[in-house]
Amino acid sequence: MAKPNPFLALSTAAMALPAFAAPQPVETIVAIKATTYQEEDVPQRDVLAGSDERYKIDIAQFRLLTPVGEKWSLGVDVAYETMSGASPWGTIMGADGEASLIMSGATIRDKRTEVSLTATHHGESRSISVDLASSDEDDYEARAVSISGEWEMNNKLSTLSLGMSYSSDDIEPTDALRFGRVQREEKISRSLSAGWAQVLNKNSVVHVGLDVTDHDGYLSDPYKLRDVRPDEKLEWALSLKYRRYFDNQNAALHLDYRYYNDDWGINSHTFHTGWHQNFGDNVRVVPNVRYYSQNEADFYRGTDDFGLATTINQSSDFRLSGYGAYTLGVKLIYSALQWDVSLSIDRYISDKSYGHDASDQSHPALLSFNMTSFGLNFRF
Amino acid sequence: MKVKLVTSLCVVCLLSLAACETVQPWERGTLAKPEMQLSEGLDSPLYHQVYDSKEASSGGSGAAGAGCGCN
Amino acid sequence: METYQFNFQAMGCPCELRLAATDRSLANEVAVICTSETQRFESKYSRYLTDSVTSRVNNASGLHPVTIDPEVAAILDYSGVCYVQSEGLFDITSGVLRQLWNKNMRRLPTDSELEFYLDKVGWKKIEISANEVFLPIKGMQLDFGGVVKEYVADVLAAKARSMGIEHGLINLGGDICIIGPQPDGTPWSIGITHPTEGNSAIAVIELSEGAVTTSGGYERYFDIDGLRYSHLINPETGWPVEGLLSASVAAPTSIVAGSLTSIALLKTPEDGLLFLEECATPYFAVDQQLGCHGNLGEVCHA
Repeated sequence: MAKPNPFLALSTAAMALPAFAAPQPVETIVAIKATTYQEEDVPQRDVLAGSDERYKIDIAQFRLLTPVGEKWSLGVDVAYETMSGASPWGTIMGADGEASLIMSGATIRDKRTEVSLTATHHGESRSISVDLASSDEDDYEARAVSISGEWEMNNKLSTLSLGMSYSSDDIEPTDALRFGRVQREEKISRSLSAGWAQVLNKNSVVHVGLDVTDHDGYLSDPYKLRDVRPDEKLEWALSLKYRRYFDNQNAALHLDYRYYNDDWGINSHTFHTGWHQNFGDNVRVVPNVRYYSQNEADFYRGTDDFGLATTINQSSDFRLSGYGAYTLGVKLIYSALQWDVSLSIDRYISDKSYGHDASDQSHPALLSFNMTSFGLNFRF
Repeated sequence: MKVKLVTSLCVVCLLSLAACETVQPWERGTLAKPEMQLSEGLDSPLYHQVYDSKEASSGGSGAAGAGCGCN
Repeated sequence: METYQFNFQAMGCPCELRLAATDRSLANEVAVICTSETQRFESKYSRYLTDSVTSRVNNASGLHPVTIDPEVAAILDYSGVCYVQSEGLFDITSGVLRQLWNKNMRRLPTDSELEFYLDKVGWKKIEISANEVFLPIKGMQLDFGGVVKEYVADVLAAKARSMGIEHGLINLGGDICIIGPQPDGTPWSIGITHPTEGNSAIAVIELSEGAVTTSGGYERYFDIDGLRYSHLINPETGWPVEGLLSASVAAPTSIVAGSLTSIALLKTPEDGLLFLEECATPYFAVDQQLGCHGNLGEVCHA
């Protein structure tokens, strides 16, 4: 096991002394990440019409976090994505008795820019933050505001966090008139969240979180040939996170679980576990596995029925079907005192049989993807 | 089934709280290590974006952020 | 701009302030604030003054907890990190062992005497909560001598800077904290006292910022039966250590530099040098044979 440098340990401890104490982060952090995401093509036999190419997305992220004066800090997040690929418009029964996809033609679809600004005020053992965020793409615009606070208690061994947010989204589908889509719709989302982080002993910490969100407005997918969803959705989720450090192995175990439930009849389980293995003082390797499983929405149908009245809720969107998915990933991090660099690779596969409550038919649009990310962090 | 699950999770939480020890400030070095944090940098928003766009059970992370056009 | 020098006695050592200012009255004002702040720390932490927090805690040993304020709590927390980082050698409860090892004792202690005092030594025995400290065994004593003097140097430098002084240094009995380089921008030349020839310097260090402290076993030693013993005691064995003759460390703060030199001197010479190397911060050390080690400063006379 790599011994910690005594000089660093004492310097960190000295920072708590009144002469040096500063309640907010004393360093400025700059982080950048570049990611490339590629979905695998739909098997030819599952496509009735349109392109078999799925999404390819390139993402660039930038973050700046800096102290301002003695009690404030400011955070800026910017993300820029370019996407290309086809998306499923509908699902119908093929001649062979299996569901088939009608895909859009492949086009250079979209660019998305997201910017968020967070201002935080730091007190003795509490901090309050206000966040403003906005996201823009050709056909979609979202604006959100949120306020949150954290309170440290029990000699800083416990932390209570509370937050609420409000967001307003506008969608103006491209080619609306040509394809008979809705021209302009809105959606409002409001949510409340509460969390509790508890240090159990010097090597472990646990976190419990509860979130409740209400969506109101246009919740359907305007690009689908036939998609009618309720104009309201109430959802809640419970999450648990556990972190434990093993002295002898110089490694840490992460265990995360999340349970989700909404009034569209969907419930899901997400498990994520990772092993953070240190090698010496500078290298960390993190193999990790994520398992996800959801059941189908009440109004989900395996194939579209264009004869059904449009006043009845209906959707053949694979994202509302019952299925499960695994992600296998590994991340490699090299750290120095003032910077670190990381590389991560993830592979995701999904199938109805992986789920806890699979739909009757396997949806042909269930996909696999590969993702690679490269990141750099600077501290000064 | 749902009620049983939530109840058992709450019991786990309460039990772990009961198992808490006092950790003196000079013993907190391990908890401050990067591999012991609850979230890591830009990974959170990235993975949220990736999974929210293909799963029905998005969000619920407590983190604010404007949505994307993936109804 | 001129550099004004102020000398006074506090915490059992000669103290010196060098403050550069265009206005003499500013330098005087800063000096007055610094001396009174030093006296405040001495009144609060000295184990020799009956009203100090230290004395109140020590007198209540084995009896009841004593309420402490956040500053004392923070200094105790820091002392705890020193205990951990020194693997148990730096222990602010080890002062009682001085009863056995001092100039007035003409003989070595017996095993039962050692046992009697070792029973009262041990950082882990202290009970600390957010605002109280309790020494559970009667006769246990806290001694902040290895921590507070170095911390005061940092406090005074911060105070001087906040009052507008940009060039100067604080020197509390060899624990030096730099406010800023000399008025012309050149670094300060600081001499490290020769371990055996008190009036000359064994090395000279040039510093523009940060702090440098020197610990030496050479100033307070005593002889028993013809053998020389250091005043630094190992809190686990109860015996004086046989370590380096002196160690100096340069670090951003005086308190950290002081802890590192104190810890280095409590180890054997080999372990002490390994420890200083491990810290990866500039140091200068002199071993029992007057051999010089380290990359800090220019050796001028060994």
